[in-house]
Amino acid sequence: MGAPLYRLENLAYAYPGRPAASPFSLELDELAIPEGEILALVGPNGAGKTTLLMLLAFLLRPARGRLEFRGLDPWAAADGAAAARLGAVLLTHHPYLFKGTVADNVAFGLRLRRLPEAEIAARRSEALALVELEGWEHKPVSALSAGQAQRVAMARALALRPRALLLDEPTANLDAPLGLRMEAVLRDAGRAWGTTVVLSTHNFSQASRLAGRILYLSGGKQVEFGHENCFSGPAETDGRTSWIEIGPGLRLVFAGRVKGRVTCVIDPSAIRVTAADGPAAPGAGPNAFRGRVSRMEMTEAATALVRVVGEAVFRASVPLAEIERGGISLSREVLVTFDPASVRIVGERSGESGEHQ
Amino acid sequence: MIARELALAVWISLKTSGLAALVASALAVPAALFLAGRDFRGKKLILVVNQTWMAAPTVVIGLLFYSLLSRSGPLGGLGLLYTQTAMTVGQVFLVLPLIVGFSYTALRQVDRRARLTALTLGASRRQAGWIVLREARFPLLVAVLAGFARAISEVGIAMMLGGNIRNATRNITTSIALETAKGEFRNGVILGVLLLVVTLGINVLVQTGLRGRDEEP
Repeated sequence: MGAPLYRLENLAYAYPGRPAASPFSLELDELAIPEGEILALVGPNGAGKTTLLMLLAFLLRPARGRLEFRGLDPWAAADGAAAARLGAVLLTHHPYLFKGTVADNVAFGLRLRRLPEAEIAARRSEALALVELEGWEHKPVSALSAGQAQRVAMARALALRPRALLLDEPTANLDAPLGLRMEAVLRDAGRAWGTTVVLSTHNFSQASRLAGRILYLSGGKQVEFGHENCFSGPAETDGRTSWIEIGPGLRLVFAGRVKGRVTCVIDPSAIRVTAADGPAAPGAGPNAFRGRVSRMEMTEAATALVRVVGEAVFRASVPLAEIERGGISLSREVLVTFDPASVRIVGERSGESGEHQ
Repeated sequence: MIARELALAVWISLKTSGLAALVASALAVPAALFLAGRDFRGKKLILVVNQTWMAAPTVVIGLLFYSLLSRSGPLGGLGLLYTQTAMTVGQVFLVLPLIVGFSYTALRQVDRRARLTALTLGASRRQAGWIVLREARFPLLVAVLAGFARAISEVGIAMMLGGNIRNATRNITTSIALETAKGEFRNGVILGVLLLVVTLGINVLVQTGLRGRDEEP
């Protein structure tokens, strides 16, 4: 990680028509995003994720505070925002493709930058290969499906090799395997070109898989906890493992020796859910929590998202076969287990103490 | 009506109305782009006034400009009355609200994301404006052609400001009026059909020339 690409201080944005009591749609005290970082914005609808991305793309002007890009405040100079936009590209949730062909679209930003035709052709081919659309140059965009359009828009952004790639739910229109492959593309692009990636997502698994850091937003403000599977508190250690208390007498154990205040997350796919009284119930070990299934949602990848409420709230991504085998159903009493090694520390402040979830 | 006279009337129609449509478009499209891209106090009033202006009878516009351009009028010194220039000026005033209205609707229908996408891919605000126009090029073309059709088919302004002077300001519509007044209804109908054929030809030419690769006509 390098120097901050973005630095935000006391930043606020207000959409017109907000009530006087809470005039701002987004308020952030302080945030630095280093060069090359992948930052995920997670939060419910209306949390301010898209607004933050629009601010980072210099498409909205902050109502208050300072937003620095590469050490400068683009809004302070007359053409500063337009110049900054050349380095920060936003891919919107429902991307718009200009009329014409795939090639016209992918070359659009390159032509604006007046690159030589040979380089435009090379970058266009490279970007289309990255999104698995080689040879699609001459297809009219009117013939594309929503998922293909999303990939063309992603290629159009990747072709620019921007300093900052801002993505609003980038894999929303893609099926699960393709979504995973596109995540790899984003990660590789970040590494290869030193691109800073900021993405918003409702998909907590995606955020924890892809991002080096997760920013939780709720009601236009940064919050410490925004989701199931995210816990925070002062850590204690016995030298081999560490833990935080997530409830009276309830320890969430993780690998390593950690002291100070930590925020940690557990990938939903790393969590096992078994019937509490079933034959497959594991014996007592670290990270075993009782609860009842409060919700089950089917996903596209032959798995279901299972929400368990009990000693703590967890959300697990469980293969359908396992659900069938274990007799997992709504209201069933279950045991949630996961390996300490699967607990990921996403925030650490040494020497501090605070409340836990 | 001899062939040369007829050809000249067609040429005068095409010239004055074509020029009127182009000048009006040059004023109307930027105005529509401005109106479509911004919300401000008084915008609704502007749109209502524009809508009302569209319904103005050609004779009223002709009369208005006649009073301005006649010898005793404030612009009488310019000596424009009974010239093709006067006809063009009157027709610009006639078709301007029509092109503003059609262009405004066309530009409002362009996805707002088009401008946003252009900006985030590095376009300046001016370039983003051009891109919005490009995205709406076919409905905008329809707006310009509608303006041209309105101008070439009107008779009130051409008659009052042009004076229907043979070989100077007589166009197709004033020729039709003259032939009808003379009781030469057959000639009037032939000229009417000719007017439609000329307009059809212009429409086909322009739309074929500008049709995009993946566009509906």
